[in-house]
Formats: sequence, C-alpha cells, structure tokens
Amino acid sequence: MNLSKNIALICKLPSHLTKVRPAVIVQTRFYPRPTSFPDYFQNPVFRKEDQATLVESNELSRIATVPVKPPTVAETSSVYYDPLVNKVINHVMKMGNKKLARSLVEKAFENIKRTQIERYHLAKTPEEKAKIELNPRDILHKAVENSKPLLQLLPIKRGGITYQVPGPITEKRSLFMAIKWLLEATNDKERTVHFPEQFAWELLDAANNTGKVVKRKQDLHRLCEANRAYAHYRWQ
Amino acid sequence: MLSRNIRYACRRYSHAVTFRTTESSPTQQTDNQFGLFYTVNKDLCKQLYGHGGLPKSYMKQSKTFAETAIMVRRPALDIINCIKATDLNKPAIRYVLYGEDGTGKSMTIAHLLHYAFEEGYLIVHVPWVSDWLRRVLRHKEMANSLTREGLVDLPLDAAAWLLHFKTQNQHLLKSPEFIVSKEYVWSKREKTEAGAPLHELVELGIARVKYACDVVDAIVNEVKLLSNSKKCKTFVAVDGYNGFFNPLTRLKTPTKKKVAPEEVTLTTSILELTKNDWTNAVMVLSADSIANPDDDTKNYLPQHLLYRKGFDHLDPFVPVKVDRYTDREFLTCANYYRDRLWIRGPLDMETELKLTSACNPFKFMEQCAPL
Amino acid sequence: MSLFIKHYRPGSIFKKQILWRLNSSVAENHESEEEFRVLDILKKRDKQQKRVARRIDVPADRAEKMSTDQNWGNVWPGPRSFHPSTVPLPIRQGFVPKGQVPPGKKANAELMKIPNFLHLTPPVIKTQCEAIKKFCTEWPKLLNSEEAIEKHYPVEVITSDYCHASPTIRNPLARVVTLRVKLSTLNLDKHAKDKLLRLVGDHYDEKTDLITLTADRCPMRRQNLDYVNYLLTACYHEAWTVEDWEKEKMEADMEYYDWNNNQSKKNLVNWYHKCINKDIALSEDEYKSFDTSVIDHGEEYKLAVSSLFNDGEREETINNYDTAVRKLLGLPERKPIE
Repeated sequence: MNLSKNIALICKLPSHLTKVRPAVIVQTRFYPRPTSFPDYFQNPVFRKEDQATLVESNELSRIATVPVKPPTVAETSSVYYDPLVNKVINHVMKMGNKKLARSLVEKAFENIKRTQIERYHLAKTPEEKAKIELNPRDILHKAVENSKPLLQLLPIKRGGITYQVPGPITEKRSLFMAIKWLLEATNDKERTVHFPEQFAWELLDAANNTGKVVKRKQDLHRLCEANRAYAHYRWQ
Repeated sequence: MLSRNIRYACRRYSHAVTFRTTESSPTQQTDNQFGLFYTVNKDLCKQLYGHGGLPKSYMKQSKTFAETAIMVRRPALDIINCIKATDLNKPAIRYVLYGEDGTGKSMTIAHLLHYAFEEGYLIVHVPWVSDWLRRVLRHKEMANSLTREGLVDLPLDAAAWLLHFKTQNQHLLKSPEFIVSKEYVWSKREKTEAGAPLHELVELGIARVKYACDVVDAIVNEVKLLSNSKKCKTFVAVDGYNGFFNPLTRLKTPTKKKVAPEEVTLTTSILELTKNDWTNAVMVLSADSIANPDDDTKNYLPQHLLYRKGFDHLDPFVPVKVDRYTDREFLTCANYYRDRLWIRGPLDMETELKLTSACNPFKFMEQCAPL
Repeated sequence: MSLFIKHYRPGSIFKKQILWRLNSSVAENHESEEEFRVLDILKKRDKQQKRVARRIDVPADRAEKMSTDQNWGNVWPGPRSFHPSTVPLPIRQGFVPKGQVPPGKKANAELMKIPNFLHLTPPVIKTQCEAIKKFCTEWPKLLNSEEAIEKHYPVEVITSDYCHASPTIRNPLARVVTLRVKLSTLNLDKHAKDKLLRLVGDHYDEKTDLITLTADRCPMRRQNLDYVNYLLTACYHEAWTVEDWEKEKMEADMEYYDWNNNQSKKNLVNWYHKCINKDIALSEDEYKSFDTSVIDHGEEYKLAVSSLFNDGEREETINNYDTAVRKLLGLPERKPIE
C-alpha cells in the first residue's frame, strides 16, 4: 500500500546506512507533485515487483541514499494498479476533482462489465463466449491501442504557406491523442446520457475497432497518406 | 465438531470453496447452509419482490448475474428458529433488525419473506417506509383524509401498496376464509358488505385511489381479526420502521406546513398493525439509519434510531444484530462473484478487498464493481 | 647599568632586591678560579638563590577524621551553609555538558547556595520530638483507624507551607486551601444528594466519593479557608431546599429511568394479561403498583430495560436486553457467530 517515502526501503537497508538519514522517515509531507520537488529528486519505486528487482540487482543501496519524491495517493502497490487507468482518470479530472473523475471512470468500467456479461450470457457457443473480453481494464487498453495514431500532421511554414506535413509521433503524444479523442467523443453526448455510460460505449466501440474515435484516427492516417508529397518539407 | 473444524480449516486454505447450496427452501435450511447462496425462483421473485423488497443495487446485480441468489446468514436463521419455536397463541412477537449501513437488513427481510411465503403466512410487507414519507420527487400527491380529521392521505402510495399486497398474497386471497367482517360504506353508491371476500376490498382500493388509505386501514383491521380468530397466520415485515418516528417528513401540505409522520394515515395504520395486541402473527421490522438521514451520528443501535416513542411502542422486542461478513461468508461471496464473472484476477486481491471494504457486504459489492 | 626591581608578590617572603650590575661578574665562586671565568650576563645562578615560598601543610579535612558512629547533631547543630570539609559525603552537584562529570563538593558554589537540611536528620528530629513530648497530649486511643478518623473528622482541610528562595519569603502558593469531604458522611436524602451533585459538578469524584473544593481567590490563607467553609455550607443548605417549580417535574424530565413509572412496564403488564387471556384495562396507579414477580423472568427484563436507559445504549446493554426478552417470550437463545 501507499507508504510514506522510504519506509519500505529503509527497512531493508544495512544498519550503517540507516544512520545517514535519521529525520526523513519520520516526517510526512503532503506535497502535491511534481512541482514542489527539485529536479534531482527521483521518482518513487512503489510496486512490490520493482522493489524486488532492485533488491536482487543490489541497486537498492545506490537509490537509498538519493532523495526521492513521495508517491501520490494513486500510486499504490495494489493488485489493481494500472498506470493507464490513472492517466485516464487524470485526463477526465477537472479543477482537481479527482474523486469525481475516479468515480466516473469506475462507473464506466462497471457499465462495460455489465454489457459484456450480458453479451456473454447471450452468446451460445463457447467460441463466441471466449471471444468476449470481460475485464474492463483490458478493454480500455485495447481501445486506447486501437485509437493511437501512428503519424501526426505537423504544420510547417514554407514560403508563406503553412503545409500540413505528416511526421513521426512519439509514444507519449500518441497516447495523449488517443485519450484526448476518446474523451472528446464522450463529451459530445446527449444531455440525458451520463458520462460513464457514453464513455463505456465509446471504449467498447474503440476496442472493437469501430466507432467515432477509430474513425478519427483512420481519417488522420488518410490525410497523412494524402499529404505524403510534402513529407520532405521536414528537412528542407 | 472435529469434521467441522477440518472443513473450516480446508476452507481457509483452499479457495475452491463451495458457495452454493441446492437447498432453496428456507424452511429446510439449517446451520449446514450457513454462508452459502441459494437461488430464488424467478417467478417467485417477481411475485414476492415485484413492487419492492430487494434493494435497488441488488436488483441491478441480479439482472447482471441472471439469477437472484440470497446468502443464508446468521440473523435470518436465528429468526427462523425463533419463529419455529414460538407459540402462535401468544401475542405477536416483534423482531427488530439493526446493524451498520449495508450489512444486509433488507436482504434478511427478503429471505424471511420467502420463508413466510413457503410456510403459508399472509404477508403484509412495507418495502421501504421512506418511499412514503421522504421520497418527494416533484410533487407528492397528498389529500386531506376524509374519514379522519387533520390527517394527510397518500392515495397513490396506498394504491401501489395494495397492488403489492395483492401480488404477494394472490394464492391466499383466493381461499374462501378471507372475508370482511363488517360493512364498509365508501360513498352513496359504493359499499362493501360484510362477508365479501377480502380481495374485493383490495381491488376496490386499487381501482378507487381516493379511498385507498381507508381501504388500507380496513385491511389492517380485518387482518388482525382474521389472525385473532385463527383463520390465518400473518407475517408483517417493515423495512425502515424508524422512519415512522422521525420528527419530520419531507411532505408539505398545500399550505406549506410540514407534516409529521403521525399525521399521515398510512403511519397510523402500520403502527396499529405492529401493536402486540393480536395473536397468530410474527413481525419483523428493521431500524435503518438510512431512514433517518438527517442524523449524522453513525449510531445504528435500535433504541437511538427508534426514538423514545418507537421504543415504547415496540417494547418488548427482540433486537437482532445484522453484522458484517465473517471470513467464511466473505470467501463464499468472493467465490460467487468469481463464478458470476463479476471479479477476476489473482487471489491476493481478496485480502486487499477484505481490508478496503472491511467485510461490509455493500461496500464489497461497490468496490468490486469497477474491477 | 640596568636596574631590576623585583615586584613584591603577596604571600611570599621576598625582600626587595636591587641588584646593581657591574661590568664584570663578581666572582662568587672562588673555587673555580683556575678555570676560565665564564661571562655571566644573564645571572642565572643568582636567580637560583631566590627564596621559595614555604608551603604550609593544609591539615586534613575534619570529614576524614569523623567516625561513623558519631553524633551528627553535635557536628551540625543548626542551619548552616554547606561546608565541604565538614560534610563527610561524596556529593556532586551541577549541570555539565554531556560526557563531563558534575563538579565535586569542594568549592561548589551551587551546593553552598542551596538550603540544606543537614541539621534536621532523623535522629536529631527524634531527639527534638522527645524533648517536645512532655508538652504534648496523647493521640486519642479511639482514633486508631482510618474509618474512625473519617467518622469523627470527616472534613479534611489541606494547606501547604513553602520554603521560598527569592527577595520575599512569602510563597503565593501558600494561600491555597483545599477542603475534602466524603459525600456519604453528609447524610443527604435522594433529592438533596442529586441537587448537591448538580451544584458541585466536576468537584465530585465518583470513584472515591469525595467532594474537593479548592480556594485560591483570596490573598490570605485564612480568607480562603473561610471561603471554602462557606462554599460547603451553602451547597449543603441549598441541596435541602426544594423550590416550587421542582414539583412540576415530569417523567420525561427525569434524569434517570424509573421502570415502574414508564411505558415499558405497561407494555409488559398488558402483554402478560394478553397471554393469560385477561382483558382488563388498568389505571395508571394500578400499573405502577403491579407486582412483576408474578411474570416469569419479569425482574430480569426490568433490570435489562433500566440498564438500557440508565447506562446508555451499547452492544453490552442491548445483548442483555436481548437475552432478557428472549427468556421472557420463551424463545431459544441467540447463538454466537463463529
């Protein structure tokens, strides 16, 4: 679970190193991150597996002497920890209302689960049943993967005209675009439909390679294909 | 005992625990089925709980799981034992279920309703008191009572309840013993003679919504008479009984005056029903802190929730505590959820969920939802 | 010519020596005439002849010579500042930083500053008591136990005297007077006891049954003593007075639950009558005077309900109520959850 900073690490340290940092363990700091910490503060290692690998590779002693940021409330060592789900919740969040964002995403997962279980019970043959994905997190992963664009259009100005030039995209940006499109598609919903419901539908569609988001991705790819003549503008 | 301990030890360490029992008749259920789920027949479910009786969240779950399964737990078995051991010639005994939020009071009542149905009791069931006194969506249709001065009627609620009463007791109302003892005059043209069957009275109430509350009153009296004369045994179940003793309700008269629960005719009828001056009956009531939502102290004990008035009215009653899941019950519930495809994942998560939900049944259900 | 004037050092037995230096050294050593005469500029040999101060032998401490069976009262007869060589104890006193040892008794200003009570050791006090005894009367024989003392002298007045070390010798805490009395010794009836307890409030300790009144609002001890006596008297008399409006107290205002006057008894009686098929309506007084021992397990039920109201509602009291009601109604007992 969510321990403060180094307690988990300190317990495993040899004694001559524990003497080095006496006061740090006792204080608890309620800082929002990441802005409050200087750059040289390392990110915390809060997953049991990661800690185990550190212990095995004897890296623990090196990291123990370095200042480390405290993990946030969402960074747990729970079995259900998923960094992608955390990222989605953060993107859904407005004005720092994490509670509401988390509840919306969790309700969406619940809706996904219910729809999928219904479909499972309606499916007749075991092959059909095996095809149905029941884990909402897996569906989220699949949906995000299916809506990640592989190229992006960069506006490049040559001779007074701004051309949309297809270019490479980083993993991070690709992920960001996928989540953003999913949320945009969810947000232009009808007034009477609630966010979790619409989000559930969008995720199911995207996981199935259908729906608005995947279409948007495919449109982008088509536009990139169409503009491939300008590709060399990137290096001119 | 030794075999039970071995079984218990095995259950602790093996996660492939049985969670179902085929014994679906509450009369036959004993301690052997303790902690196991039994399924209720769909038609029976509709008949008994069609108009209320199971919590809404539970109804959603049963739709997803495609079955209605109730866990056999200690409070229900306790009350069933007591009912089996009572002498019905004595005045009615009242059982008050109490416990923290979400521990399963409504579900225990549902279980006991099934038992009562099997044993052939005449069921008088109020699914949720706050529906009458606190659920004011836009405008609650209220009328000033015709027969009683100064009291307020809730005609639509009364009519809905009469329908519920009718569906629950269809099979019993058909028998010829259930007749009205005296004449009721509703208006110049409508009256029910003495000796008319009870279901006629019920249907009149459903059809003529204006007189529904008075019909409810009449039915209460008739039921008491029938029970006293040993023509039938009655099972009264009220969920959220402490709602009747709250200082105020959310109802307001057209003149914007707040209505107290005693001023509602339905309250007086049910309070009359739950007095212990009649025989051949069993009454199971629940004291729920959700029925007193203005009270911020997390005190779930019955004397506090019932206020002085309620306690004096019900004394002496048998308080039955509905507690959180024990380890065994928690395991069976988790296995049931796995079987119904509600949760998946490694077995460590059960320890996690146990901690985060503190073995509270409702919280456990809530927390399993997004997983 | 250079002039050296030796400074006179106090305590030493020097003579002023004015040495006149001549160009050549005056040969004081005539034996070494054959040898080469060394020019003695620095006059080291002269200096060696200075007189050394004779060290006076400090006699040993008196404390070293003391025997262990001496009469200490004769050594230290009255209050006196600490004198290290007279006190045969190895005392160390003083604050020092970590690692250091506190300074010893010799030349320890702290030990000298503080008041010591070496003149009041137990044997000395004993002799003093023996000396005073002929002026005292005996302790009363009948006051030989705590109960006897409490019975005859129930009121306890506690005051403190202080040794004050400051420009004034008067300690402001010496004016505090505490009065302690046991409630059981006051012989109050129910109403008076309840009223007194309400008046006294926090000053009453349930566990020891003591009322403790403390006064420190007046500058003199005598004044505080008078005040505390007044408080006790006033509360006592006030407890016995019954106001007119107290008669209007209803059952609902009662601070404790009396089962006999309450609805619970009526319910039980009605239920009992219903069980034995008697349909009588009793009046209020008949309800109150009805003897519940007729009903099986009635007493237990009464105790359970009373405790539920008086002791507060808790798991424990509810469980008691549960068992009592089950016994009353003839139901099987509640099985514990495994």
